[in-house]
Amino acid sequence: MPRSRRFSSALNRRELLLPYLLVAPALVVLLALSIYPLLYSITISLQQETPAGVVWTLGHFKRLASDNFFRTAMVHTFVFAAAALTCEFLLGLGLALLLNQQIRGRGLFRASLLVPMMLPTVVVGVVWRLMLNPNFGAINGTLKQVGINTESLTWTASPRLAFLAVIAVDVWQWTPFVFLVLLAGLQAIPQEPYEAALIDGSSRWQTFRHVTLPLLKPAILIVLLLRTMDLLRVFDQIFILTEGGPGFATEMISLYIYRAAFRFFDFGYAAAMSFVLLAVTNVVSVVYIRLLQAKA
Amino acid sequence: MKRTRIFRTGWLVLALVAALAPVYWMLTISLKTEVDQFAIPPKWFSFTPTLQHYTDAFVTRSFGQYLLTSAIVAVVSTFFALLIGTLAAYALTRFRLPWNLDHKLSLWILSTRMFPAIVTAVPLFLMMRDLRLLNTKLALIIVYTAFNLPFVVWMMRGFFAEVPRDLEEAALVDGDSRLGALVRVVLPLVSPGLAATAVFCLIVSWNEFLFALVLTQTDAAMTLPVGIAGRVTQYEIKWGVMSAAGVVAMMPILVFALAMQRYLVRGLSLGAVKG
Amino acid sequence: MSIKFKNVTKSFGDSKVVDDFSLKIEDGEFVVLLGPSGCGKTTTLRMLAGLESVTSGDIYVGDERINDVPTQRRDLAMVFQSYALYPHMSIAENIAYPLRVRKVDRNEREQRVARVAKMLEIEPLLQRKPRQLSGGERQRVALARAIVREPRAYLMDEPLSNLDARLRVQMRGELKRLQHQLGTTTIYVTHDQAEAMTLASRVAVMKKGRLQQFDTPLNIYNHPANRFVAEFVGSPSMNLIDGKIEHGVFLSDSIKIPIDRSDAAVTIGLRPEHVHVSTAPLDGAIPASVYVTELMGNETFVFLLVGPHKIIARAPADFRAEVNCKVWLRLETDKAHFFPKEHSTDYTDQKQSV
Repeated sequence: MPRSRRFSSALNRRELLLPYLLVAPALVVLLALSIYPLLYSITISLQQETPAGVVWTLGHFKRLASDNFFRTAMVHTFVFAAAALTCEFLLGLGLALLLNQQIRGRGLFRASLLVPMMLPTVVVGVVWRLMLNPNFGAINGTLKQVGINTESLTWTASPRLAFLAVIAVDVWQWTPFVFLVLLAGLQAIPQEPYEAALIDGSSRWQTFRHVTLPLLKPAILIVLLLRTMDLLRVFDQIFILTEGGPGFATEMISLYIYRAAFRFFDFGYAAAMSFVLLAVTNVVSVVYIRLLQAKA
Repeated sequence: MKRTRIFRTGWLVLALVAALAPVYWMLTISLKTEVDQFAIPPKWFSFTPTLQHYTDAFVTRSFGQYLLTSAIVAVVSTFFALLIGTLAAYALTRFRLPWNLDHKLSLWILSTRMFPAIVTAVPLFLMMRDLRLLNTKLALIIVYTAFNLPFVVWMMRGFFAEVPRDLEEAALVDGDSRLGALVRVVLPLVSPGLAATAVFCLIVSWNEFLFALVLTQTDAAMTLPVGIAGRVTQYEIKWGVMSAAGVVAMMPILVFALAMQRYLVRGLSLGAVKG
Repeated sequence: MSIKFKNVTKSFGDSKVVDDFSLKIEDGEFVVLLGPSGCGKTTTLRMLAGLESVTSGDIYVGDERINDVPTQRRDLAMVFQSYALYPHMSIAENIAYPLRVRKVDRNEREQRVARVAKMLEIEPLLQRKPRQLSGGERQRVALARAIVREPRAYLMDEPLSNLDARLRVQMRGELKRLQHQLGTTTIYVTHDQAEAMTLASRVAVMKKGRLQQFDTPLNIYNHPANRFVAEFVGSPSMNLIDGKIEHGVFLSDSIKIPIDRSDAAVTIGLRPEHVHVSTAPLDGAIPASVYVTELMGNETFVFLLVGPHKIIARAPADFRAEVNCKVWLRLETDKAHFFPKEHSTDYTDQKQSV
C-alpha cells in the first residue's frame, strides 16, 4: 500500500502553518547563532584595519599561504588525527570483537570503559598532567620503581614525547567510544549469515572478511566520520596538557586560531584560518558520507 | 578453548586497568597530603586520606561558585534546547513539507553541529562583546542552547519516528487536537528518549570548554572547566586543589552516564547507531 | 448516518490512488471496501476519517460536506489494523480517551466504559496495559474504544488481519452481531473476500483506485460486473478461459462448448462448483487430466489440465483421482459468465451474465 509515513493532510490554514510554527524557533536560534556568526566571520576575514580605516582585502588569505606556523599546525593536526584514528579504530575493533559474546561481567566492563570518554576534556587534561609529570607522575614513578631510568622521559617537556603523549591521551579517551559503536554494530548483525557461513565451511578469517566486515561497514564509517571531525578540531585536552608546546611541538590548528584571536587579537586572520579548517572538515565529511551512501 | 579464554580475559583486564587507573590516580592525588603526592615510589593505596584540598578548592577558593555557574548554565540551556528542539523534531518527523523541505532542513540543522567550535567561537566572542554579554551566564546559556539544538533535533527525530503514526491518528479520530495528541499520546511515549537526550545535553554543556574559555574570564561567570584550566596553566600549580576540582567536575557526569548507558551509543553517534 | 462519496479523487504526485470514486452508503449499512493491496481502499477510508486530504470531489456525512472538517470534529470512530492502543495507558484509560478529550465528566465516563466493557466481555482487563493483552483481547479493546462514544459511523481498516485464522472467524461473527445490535453505519476495509462476503450488507469492489462494482454479496458473487470482480471474489477463484464464439460455439484450443450467443472474442467464466468431474467417460463431456487434488475434508478441489488451460473444479469429499489420471468434465454453461476478452476494469463495462 503506497502510504506516506507521515501526515499529508492539511485540512485548514492552521494545520498548514503548524509545522512551520514548530520549526521556526529552532531556525531562528540556528540562524542567529550558527549562520550569522559564519557570515560575520567571512566579513572580518576579508577586512583589515589600516590607518585609512577598514578596507576590504584578501590580505588575510594571502598571509595564510606564506605562514609557516599555520602550515606546521596543519601538518601536526593531520598527523595527530591520522595516528590517533588508526590506533583508536584498531584497538576499538579488537575490543569489540573480543567482547561480542556472552562474558561474565560484560556490563561492568562496558560501564568502566565509559569513564574516560565521559570525562570533561579539561579533567582528562588534568588527569594526564598528573600521570605524566616527570617528577611525581604515576608513570615515571612506576617505571622508577621497576628500575628504569626515567631521566630522559620528560614527556610534555620533550617535543617528540609530547606529541606521542597527546596522541596517547586521545586514544585513551576515545577508544571506548569506537569500541561501543562497533560493538553495537556487531550485535545488530543477525546470527543467520554466520550460521550459513559455518555451514558453507568458511574459515574464521574468511567469515570475518566476508561476513562481519561488510555488515559492519556502516557502523565503521559512522564512527570514523565522527572521530575524524573531532580529531581535526581538537583543542581542549591539548590546551590543558601542553598548550601546544613545548615550543610549537604539539600546536594544532584550533589552538593556533585561538592564539591568533585571543592572544594577539588578530580576529580577521583567525577567521580566515578558521575557514580553512571548516573547508577541510567539510571535504572529509563529504567523502565519508559519499562512502556511506555508496554502501547503503 | 581454555587458552583463548585466558587470553581474552587478560586483554580485557588490561583495558580495564588502562581506562581506570589514570582516573583513580587523580582521585588519590585529591585525597593525599602534599608529601604523599610527591612520594616516590608512587603511593596507589597506602596513604592517609585528607579532604583538605576539597575545602581549599570549594570553600577558600572560588570553585564553589564555578560549580554553581556550571550547573545553572547546563540546566537552563538544556531546558531551552529541549523545548525548541523537540518541537522542531516533531514537526520534521510528522509533517511533509513542500519541496522535501523537511528532509533538507533536518540535514541543514545537522550540518551546523559539524562546524568546528573554533570557527564560531571567534565571531561569537565579537558578537557577545558588541552585545556587552561577555562574562555573563546568559551568553553561555544562549550559546549552549544553540550548540545542543541540532543534537536534540536529531535524537528526538529518531525517537518520534519510532512512535507508530497510527497512535497519533487514532488520537485525532478519537477527537483530540494535534497538540493534544502530542502532549497526551506522543510525549509520554518518547519520554525515555527525552530524558536520555536531556542528560546528553547536560553532559555536553557541563563538559564544554572552548566557548566558556572564550566568553568568560571573570569569577562571576566562569564555569568549572575554565576555572580548572585557569589553575592548571598557572606557574605554581596546586595539584591537590586541581584534582579535587577535577573529581567534583567528573562525578555528576559519571552518575548521569551510567544512568544513561542504554542510550549512550545512540547519543554519541547523533542517533546514527542504535546501541 | 449516511455517507456519500461524490467523484472523489486522491493523487500523490502524479499517481492517482483513488480515481473518481462515487458511493452512497445508507444509514445503518455495513459496507465493505474490498480489493487487493494498493487498490485505494485504505486511502478512501482515511480520506473519510480526515487523515488524508481529498484532491478533488466531495465527501458527505449525512448532509454535511466534511472535506474541510478537521479529523477531530468529524465524529467518526476508527479501528486500526494495528489497533493503535495507547501503550502507556491502561485499558480503561484507552477506552475512556475519546470521552476524556470531549470533556465528558468522570462519572459518566466510568459508566460508559463499564457498559462497553461488559458488552465486549473485557471487564477483567480494564486495569491492565495493552502489552499484557493477547491479539484478540487488543482487538476487543480497540472496538470498545470506538463504540464507547457512539459516533456517526465506524471505520475499520482491516481490523481482523492481525489475528490468527480461528480467532478471525470468531471475531467476524461477533463483529456482525455487534453492528446489528448498534445499528451504526460501518465501513470496513479488507482484502479478504471471505470477510467481505460474510460481513457486508453491500460490498464495494475496488481496483487501482476505481470502483468496480457496488452490490450485495450475493449479487457480487452471482453477477460479477467484470472479469476482475469475478476472479477476485470466490474461493477457489472463478475459472476464466479466453476464446471466441463462432456460429454458436465457444472455441478455445480443444474446448468446444455450444453457446447461444452472437460471434465475439470473449472470456468465459465458470465457478468451480459449476464444473463437474467424472472418472468415467460421459457423453459430450470434455476430456481432461488431473494436475493435482486437494482434500478439504468436506469437499475436494480438483485442479485439471485441459490443453493449455488450468481449470479448478469442486468435487464431493469422496472424489479420488490419481495425478495425471484422465477424467471428463461437464460444464454448467447456463451458469457461465461472459466478459469481453480485453482486460477491462471499468464499472462502465456492460454487465454480461447469462
